[in-house]
Amino acid sequence: MVNWWQGDPILKAMDVATVYPEDYGAVCAAFGAAQAYLEGAEADGFPAHMCGYARNCLGYTARMIELGEIPPEAPMGGMPQPSLLLASGALCDARYKWFQALGRYLDAPLWVLELPHPGVKEGLMEGAGEGNIYFIAQQLREFISFLEKLLGRRMDWGRLDETVDSTMEMNRWWHRANELRRARPCPMHSRDFWSSMPASLYMANDPGETAGLYRQMYDEIKSRVDNKIGALKAPERYRLAFLELPPWHSLDFFNQLAERGWNFVIESWAYHPPRPLDLDRVSDPLERLARYSYHWLTGYYPKANQAEEWWGYFAYPYLEYVRDYQCDGVVLHPLLSCRTATNHLMMVRDRLMKKLKVPSLVIEGDIVDLKLFDPARALSQAEAFEETMDHYKKLRKEAGLGW
Amino acid sequence: MAQDRGMDRAKAIYQDRSQRAGELKAQGKQVIGYLCAYPVLEMMTALDLVPFRILGDMTEPISRADACLPTVVCPFIRSALDLALKDRYQFLDGVVMAHSCDVAEKTAHIWHSYLRPPYFHFIDTPHTTGDSAVKQHKRLLKDFQKTLEQLAGRQLSQERLKEAVKAHNQQRALVRELYGLRKPDPPLISGVESLEVMVSLMSLPVDEGSRLLKQVITEVRQRNSGPPKKPARLLIWGSIIDNSSLIQMIEGLSANLVMDDTCVGSRFYWPDVAATEDPLDGLAHRYLVALKCPRTFRQADPNKASKDYQADLEYRFGYLMEYAKEWRVNGVILQSLRYCDIHGYEVPQVKDYLNSLGLPAIYLEYDYSQAALAPLRTRVQAFLEIIGQGNF
Repeated sequence: MVNWWQGDPILKAMDVATVYPEDYGAVCAAFGAAQAYLEGAEADGFPAHMCGYARNCLGYTARMIELGEIPPEAPMGGMPQPSLLLASGALCDARYKWFQALGRYLDAPLWVLELPHPGVKEGLMEGAGEGNIYFIAQQLREFISFLEKLLGRRMDWGRLDETVDSTMEMNRWWHRANELRRARPCPMHSRDFWSSMPASLYMANDPGETAGLYRQMYDEIKSRVDNKIGALKAPERYRLAFLELPPWHSLDFFNQLAERGWNFVIESWAYHPPRPLDLDRVSDPLERLARYSYHWLTGYYPKANQAEEWWGYFAYPYLEYVRDYQCDGVVLHPLLSCRTATNHLMMVRDRLMKKLKVPSLVIEGDIVDLKLFDPARALSQAEAFEETMDHYKKLRKEAGLGW
Repeated sequence: MAQDRGMDRAKAIYQDRSQRAGELKAQGKQVIGYLCAYPVLEMMTALDLVPFRILGDMTEPISRADACLPTVVCPFIRSALDLALKDRYQFLDGVVMAHSCDVAEKTAHIWHSYLRPPYFHFIDTPHTTGDSAVKQHKRLLKDFQKTLEQLAGRQLSQERLKEAVKAHNQQRALVRELYGLRKPDPPLISGVESLEVMVSLMSLPVDEGSRLLKQVITEVRQRNSGPPKKPARLLIWGSIIDNSSLIQMIEGLSANLVMDDTCVGSRFYWPDVAATEDPLDGLAHRYLVALKCPRTFRQADPNKASKDYQADLEYRFGYLMEYAKEWRVNGVILQSLRYCDIHGYEVPQVKDYLNSLGLPAIYLEYDYSQAALAPLRTRVQAFLEIIGQGNF
């Protein structure tokens, strides 16, 4: 399970191969295979309003156990039976409740990593940040001790040190590549973000190799910026942000909008790497990991505090994104089965309008369940939204907001 | 005067929770609202602040909260936020929230942003229960103590905190005593009455609440007008119930609701705080480890190389067997508010456990509206028939 670079480098350093069922949920959705697994989970008593990734995984696992092998219809070869489940307390309850529920089908041990989520004011209290980082590092130490017992081998600390460094190097290039998207026209569309993001977040490959790929991507995007080449074939008429996860089963929706000159230039905070952090003086690789993951969640807190914005992750960062990437509008995608990617959307809409005069369009859907998304209706809503964006562009200019 | 009687007074407070809070404020007390079961009440009591549980109102249509919280999240929390946006919690001098669940955590930031209460603190309660998590929780409680002291304008001494721990433990003991009155067949107090008492306790300073409880217990022991005997003795498990309509619907059928595992009920009051040299140790442990809500991750043996599902169920839900035995339960209602993830994931597993005990169970999901209860009535009726026939 994605854990924002807390546990993955540790698993990599101990030669444990990782498979990410939420990523596989997106795969099943994109291949049109998810529906049967969702129904399987519901038949086993899991309510239909719960996370689409989770229900896909629960339904898939139930079927795999029933068959005694990977289901033959499973896209891309399916997921194997795990020997360890690594869950995370980051961002949502589903992240550990779902893996705990897998205990109905699997006898694999389960470990949960914590990531503190302080409020802005509480996180900035004296000693709070260091205390939270100490807690994360302590939890990682306990995890390593459990892994060593489970695997019957000791951690190679030198290798962990290198893996942590390559993880941060990987994200540094990925961050720099995304920074280039501020250019007009924007050289990279969200669709490319969504297809490139998994390498950073779902660390299935060697982070050193991935860092090389992101560097190549950076070079390619830089060349597009230098030559003023935009991501769209059509002229860039509107620059937009997309919040949060896309309808993986209906990505063609973005192509239709691209034909109208809609360029999605920035997207979900949670799937972007943290801003670079200088950790050269921190010799303990676990402390570096702890500081890095904590920085991802709380890195915007000092500025949020100055702006008196009390939701320092998930909500405040969009005020900076939309201003820095000069967005004309924002598409909000409330997910009917994901509270976490949805809770903040109304507040973000309100804040963007009040502080930046940037309008939002709400299009309901789901990451996995295609029954919950209506592309034709969404497209007609989008067409009408163009007038709104034009209107607010004038208001922003009148207010001297700069774009 | 009828109002002087304990049961009547509890009912009156249940029906108008803010009245007493207003009187306390007029006497110069500071009233602090808290959401869910995780903010540490003893620390507020020890500083002479009055903890006041923030609840929703099933009878009030949600009209303001939708502008800042989407409709696909917990309807109870949306309702609570809606009431606050309509100034129904204007009397609060401050608000404390905790990371009790994902939506509660995120609503805390929304509440802070939109309502800007004079005092606000968020306790980022950890999710796990190991030693490092308990230490982290204690550290967070020290931060909470600092902001509370600033609000109260005085230091919190260990002695005062220990006294507050005793006062709250005494109230918990009285609640357990009250729940004991639901063990006889028929029970001496109904589920509806019990809920009204719980809600009233959460609206009063601890000592005043305990006095009310003693009065209620005495009255219930003495009265001759308790619930009638019925074939089904039910336990209700699940997400928050702060309005008696659901219980009234169930008890209007051939069932007595004799025990609950919900957070305006036994879940909130059952575990005591252990007496520890530093009271924050006992508090950190009680509110993180002893309080049994599905929001906390717990498992039988985290260090084992493979998982024993049945042992894990015993570890997590074994207390339900104790409840079932002591309260002679013959059926369980599992209920959850729509969009409550922490209970939703738990449902098939609790069912597995109850099946292993041979206890029949039904799962009900509703959207925190009274209109949603009518279709559930038929399902409960069918369930009670199954219990009556012993077909399980």
